[in-house]
Amino acid sequence: MKKPRLHRERNYGTIYALPIALWFTVFFLVPLLVIIVFSFLKADVDGGVMPLVSLDAYRNLLRPRIFRIFFNTIWVSVVSTLITILMALPCAYFMAKSKAKTFLLILVIIPFWTNFIIRVFAWKTILESNGVINSLLIGFGAIANPLPLEHNWIAVIIINVYTYLTYAILPLFSTIEKFDFTLLEAARDLGASKIQSIVRVLLPNVKAGIVTAIFFTFIPLLGSFVVQQLIGTKDMYMLGNEINDNIYKYFDWPTAYAIAVVLMLLANVGLLFVMKNDRKQAKAASARRVDDVDDGPRAPRQAISVAGGR
Amino acid sequence: MKGATIGILGISKAFGSFAALNDVSLDIRKGEFFSLLGPSGCGKTTLLRIIAGFEQPDEGSVTIDGINVLPLPPNRRHANTVFQNYALFPHLSVFENVAFPLRLKNTKNSIVTAKVNDYLHLVELGDHAAKMPSMLSGGQKQRVAIARALINEPSVLLLDEPLSALDAKLRHHMLMELDAIHDKIGITFIYVTHDQSEALSVSDRIAVMYQGDVLQVGTPHDIYESPATNFVAQFIGETNMFEGTVRASMGQMYVLDVDELGRVVVTDDRIYEVGERVSLTVRPEKLRISPDEPRVNGRSDINVFEGTVDEPIYSGFQSKYYVRLSPTVVFRVFKQHSDYTDEEHDILWKERVHVSWSAKDGYIVEGHRN
Amino acid sequence: MQKKRFSFSKTSFIASMVFLFVPLVVLIVFSFNANKAPVLTGFSLVWYQRLFTSSRSLWNAFFTSITIAVTASITATVIGTLAAIGVHWHKFALKTYVQAITYIPLVLPEIIIGMSLLAFFSGSHFTLGGVSVNVGFRLNLGWLTIFIAHATFCLPFVYLMVLARLDEFDSSIIEAAHDLGATEGQTLLKVIIPISMPGIISGFLTSLTLSLEDFTITYFVSGVSSTLPMAVYGQMYKGGVSPVINALSAIMILGTIVLALLARNFLKYIAANG
Repeated sequence: MKKPRLHRERNYGTIYALPIALWFTVFFLVPLLVIIVFSFLKADVDGGVMPLVSLDAYRNLLRPRIFRIFFNTIWVSVVSTLITILMALPCAYFMAKSKAKTFLLILVIIPFWTNFIIRVFAWKTILESNGVINSLLIGFGAIANPLPLEHNWIAVIIINVYTYLTYAILPLFSTIEKFDFTLLEAARDLGASKIQSIVRVLLPNVKAGIVTAIFFTFIPLLGSFVVQQLIGTKDMYMLGNEINDNIYKYFDWPTAYAIAVVLMLLANVGLLFVMKNDRKQAKAASARRVDDVDDGPRAPRQAISVAGGR
Repeated sequence: MKGATIGILGISKAFGSFAALNDVSLDIRKGEFFSLLGPSGCGKTTLLRIIAGFEQPDEGSVTIDGINVLPLPPNRRHANTVFQNYALFPHLSVFENVAFPLRLKNTKNSIVTAKVNDYLHLVELGDHAAKMPSMLSGGQKQRVAIARALINEPSVLLLDEPLSALDAKLRHHMLMELDAIHDKIGITFIYVTHDQSEALSVSDRIAVMYQGDVLQVGTPHDIYESPATNFVAQFIGETNMFEGTVRASMGQMYVLDVDELGRVVVTDDRIYEVGERVSLTVRPEKLRISPDEPRVNGRSDINVFEGTVDEPIYSGFQSKYYVRLSPTVVFRVFKQHSDYTDEEHDILWKERVHVSWSAKDGYIVEGHRN
Repeated sequence: MQKKRFSFSKTSFIASMVFLFVPLVVLIVFSFNANKAPVLTGFSLVWYQRLFTSSRSLWNAFFTSITIAVTASITATVIGTLAAIGVHWHKFALKTYVQAITYIPLVLPEIIIGMSLLAFFSGSHFTLGGVSVNVGFRLNLGWLTIFIAHATFCLPFVYLMVLARLDEFDSSIIEAAHDLGATEGQTLLKVIIPISMPGIISGFLTSLTLSLEDFTITYFVSGVSSTLPMAVYGQMYKGGVSPVINALSAIMILGTIVLALLARNFLKYIAANG
């Protein structure tokens, strides 16, 4: 039989998606490819490159100083992320169970509406040798000389946690909010203690939110440089500072690009590690819910719906 | 006369390697309440979506009043759809949902108001015009969807399992109302359902579909009383089904040798050869159940078998019995409760009973396709 | 009456809120300080006076930030919404590409987005036989480059938020519109955009927030142009931040709280009707 003549279906999908495809190709993919390709070229003066394939940039990274920086980056990011998540979990739980969710959500977001650098400045005011805390302590006669609160690891980690706490709370909130709290009652009914019911029932069920919270905290932390520069010391420099210095101080851009490539790999190793565990869990749970077994984008996508419609 | 005739000729449609429809042809008459009935995956919804214009067939043609509609997009076919999940626009009030098609055509406000109110009254929602869809019950949403689909005055209304989201009682009520609306406006209704009782109670004709094929087209009576295949017999209502061989024929009366049962007499107006393998079906409500042997009075067209009541199930207006004749043969029997039954006592579990039916209540089903 | 039991989650939440708000309170308190140093000496409105009389460049930087936030958010919202609509309801060749490419920025440290755009906009060049060859756009770093960078990192968020909203609808709502006589354009304007509104609004507000909050990416693409964060960074780097910044920040914080409460009522209204 002959193919019937049908009404023409124009593919509007392409029309709708063309702007984003063009925008991301030009302003995201191409720049990313530029730095990846240029990291394998020889550095020229004032930030340029010579059309010579070279591993100089990567060779520059094989120095004890860079190893230390690399190590700093990992441990500061991991510790800051852990503390952030541990603080964010009970907050998100409380918010999800509260009757005033919208209000609490706004409360958490408000500090976010003040630029990051201004909040770093506020912390500086608090921690400085003649800052708020020291003034108060001296004023009360608790100490005679100001404590060295600034320029140490603790200060850097406090500000890191401060910066990413909201980033961690939002995805956790949106997943815990969808959690069926009667499951906790069921667990209690079956003999679990409150802590057991949270660890064994709540946490496994809000895993997607935890993974997203880790993404949102750990990945940007890997590339941070401002806090170390303004509140820390040179000993605390991380890969982000090294990129900054190679761009603006040494004008060795290929080396900055090479560090960026290392950072991308680092971010993705962390990511794969988290997602692999997540995927395993998801597979085990696939009998229950088919839509859990999905590729990566699901978790952030779910969690980004946070403020959606609220 | 309102309504349209719909001609479906040789429609085939595959999704990947899955054949949803195999060379389906149907003729739907002007103003008919026509049901597409079948289990999920039988192709009924795909066929409806092809008529509406949401899917394109691989082969075949669809005509509405003789005009080929396949080259037309959904918005230019005189057919409107009532969706399974209602598909109401959540940002528009009930009134504006129904007014939507008119607004698209920039209809004058006074006409819109008058017409929308007419249709809201038709579905008995006159008082709810200002509400948002989220404030309505399932049944009310359904009515809005119907009013909205009707306001363009289509010549065909396509209904895709419109009652499946409602509870049983409401479903029955809505069904009666749909029937009333159909009678009032007189256009052609094509109704997709997997529920045989819905289809039987309101349809003028039914097409029973299975695995992409139309197995039988007929009135509810035809389909129930003379199912064309085993599948139709089993899908429409409950039935007792046996395999057997034709042993003798006397005009329209046949004597069958039914496996594990023995001699059974049945009438059928079709011709069967002696020795042919056939299926025999008897509806449970056609069976009589009695503790004593029924008085046959020498009549040879009554079939009687003796068995034990396995499980009596009381369900208000009727009782169901599973009567076991042998380890592998069980009869399903329905018995209506009425004051006129001449039974002296209730039939109990484990009681020995007689099951009987007359030759005209059995039915030979052709073919062993399923 | 039962004695109120200790609630760990409530205590944690309150402690975290104190942690989040203390720096903001400090900013506001010091905006009223008579002294420049971070030691409270007395109440004064001198910084507010200076803010409104002799801080033209700071105001310019502030308005640049606001302008960029608004324009970048609008751009991201329009492009991201269209993309979500396309991806949710249609199948097309670019679909996988769009899904992948909008996901990657979320899993890259922001510094990489900043520096790659810097490399791109400064027209990374190499010398070939004595001739300088440029790769990328040679754009003067400034307003335009910040706008592009902000729209880029906001886009995935708008896209995902609108998509999350559209997940609540299957194709029947679009089919219903077409069935009732709407063209694609009418369906977009009268059905798709209105039903996506909650997602569009939260995407837009998220974009505004991210843009106002961002420092890292702005730092790399701003060049000599001054935005508020760059002005503050410059002063901090040199060692002395003028309390005028405190005054401006205090005004901004109170302003955002008022806006947030307004937005809350607005979003409640949307939620009730969406």
